[in-house]
Amino acid sequence: MTEAPKFAFASATLALGGKTILQNITFDIAAGDFVCIIGASGCGKTTALRLAAGLYQPTTGEVRLDSHPMTAPRPDVAIVFQDYGKALLPWRTATGNISLAMEAGGVPKAERGDRIAELLTLVGLSGQGEKYPGEMSGGMQQRLQIARCLAQNPSVLLMDEPFGALDAMTRQGLQDEVLELVARSGTTVIFVTHDLEEAIYLGDRVIGLLPHPGRVGIDVPVRLSRPRDQLTTREDPEFLRLRRELFDFIKGSEA
Amino acid sequence: MKSVMVFTWAGRAASFAVAACVIWIWQMVANSGAISPLFLPGPDKAWASLQRGFASGVLLRQTFGTLQHMFFGWLVASVLAIVLGSMIGMYPTARRAVTPLLEFLRPLPASAVIPLAIAFMGLSNGMATFVIAFGTLWPMLLSTIHGFSSVEPRLYEVARALNIGRLETIRKIVLPSALPDILAGMRISVTSALILSVVCEMIAGLDGLGHYIMVSARLYRSPDLFAGVMLLGAIGYLSSLVVTMAENRLLRWRHRGH
Repeated sequence: MTEAPKFAFASATLALGGKTILQNITFDIAAGDFVCIIGASGCGKTTALRLAAGLYQPTTGEVRLDSHPMTAPRPDVAIVFQDYGKALLPWRTATGNISLAMEAGGVPKAERGDRIAELLTLVGLSGQGEKYPGEMSGGMQQRLQIARCLAQNPSVLLMDEPFGALDAMTRQGLQDEVLELVARSGTTVIFVTHDLEEAIYLGDRVIGLLPHPGRVGIDVPVRLSRPRDQLTTREDPEFLRLRRELFDFIKGSEA
Repeated sequence: MKSVMVFTWAGRAASFAVAACVIWIWQMVANSGAISPLFLPGPDKAWASLQRGFASGVLLRQTFGTLQHMFFGWLVASVLAIVLGSMIGMYPTARRAVTPLLEFLRPLPASAVIPLAIAFMGLSNGMATFVIAFGTLWPMLLSTIHGFSSVEPRLYEVARALNIGRLETIRKIVLPSALPDILAGMRISVTSALILSVVCEMIAGLDGLGHYIMVSARLYRSPDLFAGVMLLGAIGYLSSLVVTMAENRLLRWRHRGH
């Protein structure tokens, strides 16, 4: 008897407006795993993540967290949206934005200050607490959104193309920071991206979706040693082999 | 930074110079006697009348009357706009149901409802409050509806993902998000509130500067008329300045960065 999976998609199908978006999605995720979901545009990977967040309910089948069906969003499941500019409250400072998650979680006011300072330091924003999102760069805003999600003390972190809108240097920096954060906390991560190299670099496992309707097409483990390194990992023959395999998969799925 | 400061001071000096110039020309024209002093008193006489009026307490009472009409009408309209606007803005069904009625009422000149308001409420301050509230409600209501209906959908998702309840979502996300539009509507309406106060005072003979300048004109006391008009100008300028300052203070996050 194996341990129950942390997170499970069990034959989850989602139809919106009579159109099947996701069909019969089934996979398990073990606690502490970093799973990346890739796929051509329109394959429903972002929708799958919303299903995992409890923002959508499957039409048939189930999404389970710790063996319980997700019927609504849960405080220990945090989601990082791609469009940080829209997901932050522009009228609240960095501190205020992080505080929002704590207010929702019922953290007493007296305990918030220290924890917020700690989180700001953790994401590399120490001393920036009084800045408004409008005064921050894209990279800083995304760090802030990540900090807000960490304020929920999530056991599962969902990330929807979080670095898609950032420049290459900022993206690589944040990739390493997320890996470090996750390694330290043991959080389970589902990470959606359209960048194959990013998926391989970050993940323990990469799941590829096929489009129209979205379904699981490929599920490969990533056997690359950790901690990963932006140069050596990306030059590893296994990395290159996986890149070729996933590239062929995407190309095949579009044909 | 320094050049900005210099520019502001230079700009301020220039605007004072222009105003001083206009007053000087006014004085010259009045002194020349080309226009009978019965119709055009010089700024010196208007100023003297202003001082006299305040010394005797008459102008103070009239100014207070106008401010009172403006304020209560505007306040009632603001409260109504926020209550109705939030409900209409947040619920598309409600929006569809009331939009035709709103579009019909909006262009209706507020002055047209004065006879009706007098018939029902008499020549009273309550009548003025009603007319001013009616006239200033529409721009505030429309911009409030816009504010409430254009909340970033992603923020609703954030609220749901964080398990924030309905009332808390309104308080922490919807209201602050709509605030810029609410305040813009309130700022625009201050000026119409002043206009309608003057009109109501003129028609209904209520205590206020509108009544004061009309009576002054009828009695050919043109220095008093000019004093009243100058005071109305000052009220208009200062009231919109105060509201703009409050707006900048509440929306200071907008002015930082970018």
